[in-house]
Amino acid sequence: MIVCLAVVGHQNNPLYIQSFTEADDALKLHHIVHCSLDVVDERVNNPKKSGPTINEAFLGLLYPTENYKVYGYLTNTKVKFILVTTDLDVRDADVRNFFRRFHAAYVDAVTNPFHVPGKKITSKIFAERVSTMVKSFGLSPAS
Amino acid sequence: MADPANTKLGRMLLDEITPVVMVLRTPLVEESCRKNGLSLIEMLAPYSNFNNIDVPVRTASDQPYRLRKFKLRLFYDSEIRQPNIEAAKERLKQVITRAGDKDFSDQCSDPPDIESLVATSQQEFVPSWFQNFNKELVDAVSFSEHEAFDHPVACLVAVSSKDKDPIGKFVDLFNTNQLPSLLNDGAMDPKILKYFLLVHDNQDGELEKATGVLTAMRSTFGANDCRLLCINSSADGMEEHQENPWASYKNIASNSKQLGCFLNVDDIEELRNTMHDLSSKHIIPHMELKIRVLNQQVSATRKGFRNQIKNLWWRKGKDDAPENPNGPMYTFSSTESQIRVLGDYAFMLRDYELALSNYRLISTDYKLDKAWKHYAGVQEMMGLAYFMLDQSRKDAEYCMENAFTTYLKIGSSGGRNVTRCGIWWAEMLKARGQFKDAAGVYFRISGEEPLHSAVMLEQASYCFLSSTPTMLRKYGFHLVLSGDLYKKSDQIKHAIRTYRGALSVFKGTTWNHIRDHVHFHIGKWYAFLGMFDEAIKHILEVLACGHQSKATQELFLWDFFRIVQETGKTFEVFRLQLPVINFPSIKIVFEDHRTYASPSAAIVRESLWQSLEGDMIPSLSAMKTNWLDSKVLPKKYKESNVCVAGEAIKVDISFRNPLQIPVSISNVSLICKHSAEYDETESDAIGSLTECHNDKELRTISVSGDFSLDTSLFTLSEVDISMQGGETMLVQLTVTPKIEGTLKLVGVRWKLSASVIGICNFHSDIIRKKVAKGKRKLKQVKDNLQFLVIKSLPRLEGVVDDLPKTVYAGELRRLTLELRNPSKISVKNLKMRISHPRFLNIAAQEVMNSEFPTCLRKQENSSQSCTQMDAAKAANSVFVFPETTANSWETPLKWPLWFRAAAAGSISLYMTIYYEMEDASSVITYRTLRMHYNLEVLPSLEVSLQTSPCPSRLQEFLVRMDVVNRTSSESFLVHQLSCVGDQWELALLRPIDSAVSFELLMAGQAMSCFFKLKYGRRQGSTEEKISSLATSGRADVRLVDSDSGGLFDTSISPFDLFHHYERLHQERHEQGSDGVGIMGHGSTVDFILIFESQRESNAGLPSTTEVFSHHKCHCKIASNSPIWWLMDGPRTVRHDFSAAFCEINLSMTVYNSSEDVVSVRISTLDSTSAINSASVSGNEVGWHDTSHLSEIKVTSDVMGTRFGKALSPESVSPFIWSGSSSTRFNLEPLSSVVVPLQISVFSPGTFDLSNYSLHWNLVTSCDGGDDDEHGSRVSSGTCQGHSYHITVLQKE
Repeated sequence: MIVCLAVVGHQNNPLYIQSFTEADDALKLHHIVHCSLDVVDERVNNPKKSGPTINEAFLGLLYPTENYKVYGYLTNTKVKFILVTTDLDVRDADVRNFFRRFHAAYVDAVTNPFHVPGKKITSKIFAERVSTMVKSFGLSPAS
Repeated sequence: MADPANTKLGRMLLDEITPVVMVLRTPLVEESCRKNGLSLIEMLAPYSNFNNIDVPVRTASDQPYRLRKFKLRLFYDSEIRQPNIEAAKERLKQVITRAGDKDFSDQCSDPPDIESLVATSQQEFVPSWFQNFNKELVDAVSFSEHEAFDHPVACLVAVSSKDKDPIGKFVDLFNTNQLPSLLNDGAMDPKILKYFLLVHDNQDGELEKATGVLTAMRSTFGANDCRLLCINSSADGMEEHQENPWASYKNIASNSKQLGCFLNVDDIEELRNTMHDLSSKHIIPHMELKIRVLNQQVSATRKGFRNQIKNLWWRKGKDDAPENPNGPMYTFSSTESQIRVLGDYAFMLRDYELALSNYRLISTDYKLDKAWKHYAGVQEMMGLAYFMLDQSRKDAEYCMENAFTTYLKIGSSGGRNVTRCGIWWAEMLKARGQFKDAAGVYFRISGEEPLHSAVMLEQASYCFLSSTPTMLRKYGFHLVLSGDLYKKSDQIKHAIRTYRGALSVFKGTTWNHIRDHVHFHIGKWYAFLGMFDEAIKHILEVLACGHQSKATQELFLWDFFRIVQETGKTFEVFRLQLPVINFPSIKIVFEDHRTYASPSAAIVRESLWQSLEGDMIPSLSAMKTNWLDSKVLPKKYKESNVCVAGEAIKVDISFRNPLQIPVSISNVSLICKHSAEYDETESDAIGSLTECHNDKELRTISVSGDFSLDTSLFTLSEVDISMQGGETMLVQLTVTPKIEGTLKLVGVRWKLSASVIGICNFHSDIIRKKVAKGKRKLKQVKDNLQFLVIKSLPRLEGVVDDLPKTVYAGELRRLTLELRNPSKISVKNLKMRISHPRFLNIAAQEVMNSEFPTCLRKQENSSQSCTQMDAAKAANSVFVFPETTANSWETPLKWPLWFRAAAAGSISLYMTIYYEMEDASSVITYRTLRMHYNLEVLPSLEVSLQTSPCPSRLQEFLVRMDVVNRTSSESFLVHQLSCVGDQWELALLRPIDSAVSFELLMAGQAMSCFFKLKYGRRQGSTEEKISSLATSGRADVRLVDSDSGGLFDTSISPFDLFHHYERLHQERHEQGSDGVGIMGHGSTVDFILIFESQRESNAGLPSTTEVFSHHKCHCKIASNSPIWWLMDGPRTVRHDFSAAFCEINLSMTVYNSSEDVVSVRISTLDSTSAINSASVSGNEVGWHDTSHLSEIKVTSDVMGTRFGKALSPESVSPFIWSGSSSTRFNLEPLSSVVVPLQISVFSPGTFDLSNYSLHWNLVTSCDGGDDDEHGSRVSSGTCQGHSYHITVLQKE
């Protein structure tokens, strides 16, 4: 299950961060997302390590913590998507697919003429769309 | 990479993995040493560390090498055992606590900027106590049985010369069962090198006895192994040591002066020699020998192909032995132990190659034996040996990892070793610059115990900081994690330290959630420690957390107030975030030569005032650029604004509450600095302010503070507000300087919830920006918060009494302008100007005394109109008050004003009053009082007037007046209609009768009535024409019963005054739409409708009558042509058509109303189609359609349809014009002529004789004279004939 999704701007400022858990762990997830930016930076700056997927927006597993797996995705505008999940056996393909759809949702949200680039994404439709995507992500491995 | 021995790990290993000497001593030896404040070991310790021992060493190989640095570790026999876990834990805790206390003292400064932190070298930001801590951790696992480097290499036996039977004591000491378990349980060879030391205290006895004992010892134990050590040679105990060698070895830095106070130079030399002798002559050779012996043994049993095979086979056989978690016990005599000892000895003597080969040899054995702990230990040593050899990094890492995981695997028994191995591993990685990996290792070390984990996580965080690229976020994260753990284990100081470190990462970012958390906790912890200043400083950071949830905001605020209460003091907080000040909206209003009657006047654009004051203010050119340029002021004051003592400077500040919870703010006031000196240098002023500029400085102030002191210089206003969540409030604060000098607005202060004082300084640049934007016209580059206070000046206060906020359009009022001069100094040269003379105008002063509105009624002797007209014309410019009124006033000056709500809508009235100081010595010689009033004018009656020529008479017109009451509730009484100009006579079409009187016109009601307007113009000259407006008598028609008072005299002020402006206005308005000038004076007429409203007053007072007037100017009279004509003739003719057709004679009277000779041509048309076209081409000569034309069309209804039923064009017209179809004649000015006309009618009926037209054109006999007057005057035109109905009947 996805516990947290975040959009981080190209100056590493949080644009959207949403946790999908009941518990009051917003702070922890903030920390995890914030920390994973270091790894994103590292991946981006040392493309050697990331190997053949150099032109790939999907950054793969950023780092595993005790209970979570953190995946990253970097758009061409240096906006980062961070996904924190508790599923310890997630297939990369699923995550990649999820990120693609999330990217589409993000693009739709920021193409709103009332959205100010570099400011937080406040669109309700975006939030709804994301939450349905998150729900369906939990189901997709079962199907 | 540097030499591995010089790295941190290298130094650590050279320090830690050194030969251990077990020290046995009698209590008397200890006693002698204690005199110096030292134990025996402590006394010897400085001399067991050799920096340049320079001993040749030959180990297994034949090639000797020299050893430079060497160290012996001295331990008492009782210490040689595995340390108690609990005790070790306690010691670690002490180390941490002590470090926390020590570090904490210098923590109060701001955390360094993260960028600079990265730039500094690692040593600077990593706390130094980590090394101690790590050493303690490593020491905690010393003397384990699976490692040999902690096993004593030699034994130092010390006996005092005072002891009875010293020889016996030597023997006893070693034979007692007190020896460490390591030697007794067989893990170690008990036969170790012994060195006998006879300690002689020079204070206690003669040296002879000691030397005697020494000889006995030498004979007993061998000459080489015995030595005499004389100490305490200094008798007085006042020996001072330049650099006390013991200071660094003694943990507790107690009175370090007394350490070694009885040891003189000789003693110290002896100590040094003793230890040098012990190490170079005994220990090192002993170890060399042992290495060689063991090496031979190992080679014999284990080296070579045969031995290996044998060994393997032998070990295979043991495979099925039951597994012992600790692995099999290896006694000192076992080959495995021997190899290990060989390796460790070689390691200690820096023969890492040899050590490595032996470790390698043994590690496979241990692995096969499943002696995991031993295996891990060996792997660890292999890793270190690789490191020291600086050979294969990969191997070294592999070994360390292997050791680490193996220790982890064996669980609790390897727990401490895991830590040590991890520390070494991490150090190794750090030495090689692999900081990220090192951080990972630290992270893995952190176990369950919170305190350890905290330290390890902190170390990990520093690794992230040192790694390239710097991983700041991980650094921050690990610091936060570590801080949490510190907090869990009650190390609050450390927790604060780590959080502060983390803060430097989060400070500039937008990750508010994390930053708030960090700030809040630091604040809370500081409060816990009682450091409230710091606590408040940090909590303040999170106060304005609008993004947090309401609960969090409440928590923050609640905690903040709790902390503030705990301090029991009133805090002054610089830049308090609650409430937020909206800086760009700060507005300063001050009065120099410009004074404002009301706040609303102050916000009016300066340019508007300037345009109004333009020609009133003297020395215009200087004023317009910058009034400060006038020579009155010294040049240096240009930069500051001028204000007058005793007059308030108003500052509008908008506060915003960012929280969702209400807050209460009290005592909001300005902070000002006043300096009496004019010539105070700029630097001084700034210097006195610097205390406030210190960022976020917290000051505790005494209750009265420095503000009571200032009250003599200026007074401040205080405001209390209470703000709801998210509310924005505009607060106006004032400061009133009392004394001349310089006043500077420093900032604003307020009290939050009666506990915290917030201070916020204004930044002149911020406000200046606003000023530039808001057009407050301060062009100075310099500070605009600085004011030059000049001595008090008279300041007029003006108010217009009872100026209504809402009025109905047309209402006439007499208002009173009241001017007060509160000061003693009188003013002169009063002038006034009003922006909208159409609405507000100056009345004559006599009006004050007369009664309104009865004074407007017509009086018998009304002859003042001429003088009034001059005033009206002058009022367009500046009104100058008579000198007499202005000199000095004890009583306020009252001056009447006429007010008339000219048009519906919102209107802003501006008035400016100029006055000069009687006292010319002042800096400011004149001032202006600016008044501004907004009012709303509601529509009242809508009046439309239409005039049309009377069909029956020349120069008479029908006037139709339609009045609609547009108000919602008001009712009006239409009082009179007057027309302006003496040439007009106005009368009701039907005389008024009381039954059909035009009573009250209720809301929404409409009314029409008809008047007859007669042109009664006398022959007049040109002069008369111009002043015709002024000198005219008026024709007035009363529309009400006479009992409600006489007619109003429209020829006096204010009617004529407002009529003048109204006329101007409407003329301007018309010219916009109508390109045609006024044709002759007879062509338009102005009407004034006066109506009243009875205002009920519920206070029992007599109801007041309000007078309204409506001015309708430039009503066009029927035609634009200069000629009027009238058809005259019989209306009904009886004729016998059987006899002949009927001829009817008519006459047309044509009148020329213009000043020129007009040539008129009358054309009669017989065809109806021609008539039709003629009606369309009414505009043919360039007449444009006007509103009056449309009105004329409407009036044609009154006169009947002009063309009647349209006749079919084919039908033959029933009558024809007889005689000439065109008659031309010239008409002298203002004269008339009668033209005979005749028609022939063929059949009876009623006919409309409108099918003729008059063409006229001006005969410009003396042209040029009038051209400038009527530039756009039309010189010719065509008029369609009026309808004239004639009925022809068959004669019976």
